[in-house]
Amino acid sequence: MDWSVGEESGRYTVVLNDSGGALRLSSVQHDGMETDSPEISITRDDHHGRLRVEIAGTLRLAHVAKVGDSWWIHLDGRIHVVRAREPGNAGTEPSEGSLSAPMPGTVLEVHIKEGQRVRKGQTLVVLEAMKMEHRIQAPKAGEVTELHFSVGDRVDMGEILVQISD
Amino acid sequence: MNMTSGSLDNAPRPFGTVLVANRGEIAVRVLQAAREAGLRGIAVYSDADASSLHIEVADDAVHLPGSTLAETYLNSEALISAAGDCGAEAIHPGYGFLSERADFAIAVEDAGLVWIGPPSGAISTMGDKISARIRMLESGVPVIPGEELSVPDGADHLGALAACAARVGYPLLLKASAGGGGKGMRAVHEPKMLRTEYEAASREASAAFGDGTIYVERLLSGARHVEVQILADSHGNCIHLNERDCSLQRRHQKVIEESPSPAVDHQLRQAMGNAAVTAAKAVDYIGAGTVEFMLSPKGDFYFLEMNTRLQVEHPVTEMTTGIDLVQKQFEVAAGLQLGMEQSDVGMSGHAIEARIYAEDASKGFLPVVGRLALWKPPHGPGIRVDSGVRQGDVVTTDFDPMLAKLVVHAPTRQAALRRLDAALADLVALGVTTNIGFLRNAAAHHAFASGSVTTEFLDSAPISEFAEPGADPAVLVAIASAAQRLGIERTPSDGASGSVDEHTGHSGDPFRTLSRSFP
Repeated sequence: MDWSVGEESGRYTVVLNDSGGALRLSSVQHDGMETDSPEISITRDDHHGRLRVEIAGTLRLAHVAKVGDSWWIHLDGRIHVVRAREPGNAGTEPSEGSLSAPMPGTVLEVHIKEGQRVRKGQTLVVLEAMKMEHRIQAPKAGEVTELHFSVGDRVDMGEILVQISD
Repeated sequence: MNMTSGSLDNAPRPFGTVLVANRGEIAVRVLQAAREAGLRGIAVYSDADASSLHIEVADDAVHLPGSTLAETYLNSEALISAAGDCGAEAIHPGYGFLSERADFAIAVEDAGLVWIGPPSGAISTMGDKISARIRMLESGVPVIPGEELSVPDGADHLGALAACAARVGYPLLLKASAGGGGKGMRAVHEPKMLRTEYEAASREASAAFGDGTIYVERLLSGARHVEVQILADSHGNCIHLNERDCSLQRRHQKVIEESPSPAVDHQLRQAMGNAAVTAAKAVDYIGAGTVEFMLSPKGDFYFLEMNTRLQVEHPVTEMTTGIDLVQKQFEVAAGLQLGMEQSDVGMSGHAIEARIYAEDASKGFLPVVGRLALWKPPHGPGIRVDSGVRQGDVVTTDFDPMLAKLVVHAPTRQAALRRLDAALADLVALGVTTNIGFLRNAAAHHAFASGSVTTEFLDSAPISEFAEPGADPAVLVAIASAAQRLGIERTPSDGASGSVDEHTGHSGDPFRTLSRSFP
């Protein structure tokens, strides 16, 4: 899953590690570039719709709510919106049936063959990057016309993985 | 509550059931006041409001059929017949809608119901700018110096105009008498520009309104909007409840209001209060009303208009005087005396109200729609939230985009500003874009914090001065990603059942009061 903050079009990719129930931020990439980030550890809170967020050792409470594809976040008295972006399309416009790698990584699983019909939302390929799994899902129903990689292959960001046509 | 009798049982014109001909936060406010007074409260609602909060706080609710406002909340016949159907003996109009319609006041009384508002004559006199101005002039209430200039064709236009302009004084404003919306309005800063601007204004006015009559008025720049709350009963008693300063406006829309005004001292307060009482008495006013003034930088004040109803910003007066204006409206309408004199009206501390709107400040304050997925109003000492919405509600463009009013009260203005900032920061409104961040930035702006804004301030300051500070995007995307992974979801129906609690403020969440200061 990629993310965009507010109105900005830049894509963020997040790697979280589960360490004893707490999700620790391992790395953040901004448009494919590693960016600096503070030490962050996030856990559930007893209150519904709230997370405990430890940033560089300081505990904060963040209220969150999912509306459509966006997470609304109330943190430190300010409200922010983070949008989920379909992985696989580096451009701002989703291109027709062409799925590209959202980041450099390794192909972990391939669930389809060329010529196979897939339904919308079906997982086609799983990439591993920055120790996190990314599922590449079909944006629409159709037939797999091109499959460029197999398990274990390295891919670069933006490389076309799968082509689907109606 | 097992109150068996209402507080108005022994009044000259008692009523036990009141219909509130309104919606949103003001309907909630009035219905809660009715319950406190031991009255039955009846809500009305249109299809778009079928599950709105104001129905929940009413003892009974009457559906208004139809899809337009004219068929529902502006339909006086439907409202009066609804009152009959549910046994209401009085109608409270709230603000907006029919609250300042003299014909509605008459129709309510003709139907044998108690009208919780001023006499129709006061509404109509004050509702017309010209008649209000004339009545104020006659009564000695200061009005903005100005004259109407009606020159028959062929007469000496410019001679008459120059004489008139000299009497009014520069800088002045030429306005189309028939006008509105800024058409035919021209500022003239010096006599030599009079002719040019007059011809332009006259042309615009003729083109736009088919009437070239011009109104010449002194141009007040750098003025503040200061209004005085008044209360009058049907026994000839009339008092004022100090002023409210509403200078922070965006396109004539009030954004933040406070009491007392940082620009008014004790002496000016007395002078403006007396003028407001004079204005109210001049139209035989009964009930709660507001006299609005322009306050010039030199400390001169001029009558602007009188709002013959409850104001949106009435809570700041309630917080600083301790007087419940809606209860007073009930009592006065029932024929009771005010039961207090001017000297009984105190003024304690400082109160500030911020209007929470569903709008996007970064996109020209465009109203927005959406579902309030999470709505947690702040609470704590000196914090009041008058809300028309609750968690799970859908915000539409059917009505005014005001969601709620956040009002704070503290011993000093400084302390009230800090409390306002903390309370706005604590207000969690997710799922719908609001002006909460803008309000925080506006209240913290040095011009407002120093108490020196004029009514022109917000419209002239670049929006970038109120821009939201960004947070570290890495933190935000980490939270979104974690929330997604932890499966923190809210279903849209969440909160609907416990909604009254959400609205009135549920009990203890220790973290929410940690950051608040208690000066």
